[in-house]
Amino acid sequence: MTLTVVNNATCTFCGCVCDDIELHADETRILKAKKACVLGTAWFLNHTVERKYPDALIDGKEATLDEAIEAAATHLHAADMPLVYGMSNTTCEAQRECVALADLLGGLLDSHTSL
Amino acid sequence: MYWGGNPAECHPRHFTKYALMPKSKFLPRGRKDRTAVLVDIRPTKSAKAADIFLQVRPGKDFELITILRALIKDQKVSEEAVAETGITLEQCTDLIERMKKAKFGCVFFGMGLSMTRGKHMNSAALLTLAAEMNAFTKFVAMPMRGHGNVTGADVIMRWQTGYPFGITFNRGYPRYNPGEFSTVDVLVRGDADAAFIIGADPGATMPQPAIDHLARIPTIVLDPHVTHTSNLAKVHITTAPAGIAAPGTAYRMDEIPLPLKPALKSPYPTDEEVVRRIKQAIVKKPFWMPEGAQMTAAQV
Ligand code: SF4
Repeated sequence: MTLTVVNNATCTFCGCVCDDIELHADETRILKAKKACVLGTAWFLNHTVERKYPDALIDGKEATLDEAIEAAATHLHAADMPLVYGMSNTTCEAQRECVALADLLGGLLDSHTSL
Repeated sequence: MYWGGNPAECHPRHFTKYALMPKSKFLPRGRKDRTAVLVDIRPTKSAKAADIFLQVRPGKDFELITILRALIKDQKVSEEAVAETGITLEQCTDLIERMKKAKFGCVFFGMGLSMTRGKHMNSAALLTLAAEMNAFTKFVAMPMRGHGNVTGADVIMRWQTGYPFGITFNRGYPRYNPGEFSTVDVLVRGDADAAFIIGADPGATMPQPAIDHLARIPTIVLDPHVTHTSNLAKVHITTAPAGIAAPGTAYRMDEIPLPLKPALKSPYPTDEEVVRRIKQAIVKKPFWMPEGAQMTAAQV
């Protein structure tokens, strides 16, 4: 098993987005998050690369990624007033795609900020 | 100044890494060169870190801010009005003096201000106070953002549409009207007829009528975990957790973009990839706008 160290990693658990974290990880999980606070450490150590969940669920039943993407596209396309919401725990790159998606759908677009 | 926030428990490194402790060219003694004030309805853990704690009566933030705004301009305020806020006139004038004497004042406001009685009117009043303070010294106000990259969402939406949230594209161009197009309102009224949820779990946080509506309509969820919202959704897609196993960019609450450095490799695709693929699948279907309308470059 190889141990990797990531220097100056970024924690996105809270809005402080500390970018000085030293992560020690093996291939499946993060073992240590130096300099992170209690919340950040818990967040880093909580995730693993194990397949804990199915790739996708449709109506609560397991499905493949391709089926789920097609189902999502069909539902969103069929709607008159689709809503794109959230975008907190994701990257700016994904957020940009979300804006384009809402634009393409002629739908609503909103984030946590409005709460 | 912190107003209606509890960084000691919600943003644990805010004091040490950014706001109170760091030593700098102009503040060589770090914490000793700063005055920290906390305004809140009860003494939270953060009160210990503050030099001055002002306990405002619940729901009286707007009144207190307005009194401060009057005082900085040497206007008269009635004793009774001040008494109602739970703060004394002496405390207010002392605070104002300190604010004016400061070389650079910053007020961070949390959900204790922006989510209680008055809501965005409170935030607006505080921003105005900070703006008016600039007649005397440098002063800024900044919201304490939670939830990872919610600042990035504001920035990206502003960049792409001109508005930060509460947007609709239903006429083919972006329009902004919080209250009309903001999610809770749209869901409680039952307006939306499909929902795409990413990087959020409204099923755990929103008011019940909004959740009920999400369960009625086809809801699609992208999340690294099967969440409350996934359980009531039509479609759930598992994605790689951003910053842990997915690369990209995130914005700090002061709008500084920072690169993410994932330490793990996920077996799941990234949010970016899945959203793009859904978009591509929709592009293949007929465009929703009637004849003559054209897609913009950003959509394709
Ligand atoms: S390390 Fe702590 S303070 Fe820093 S971003 Fe993570 S949760 Fe927030």
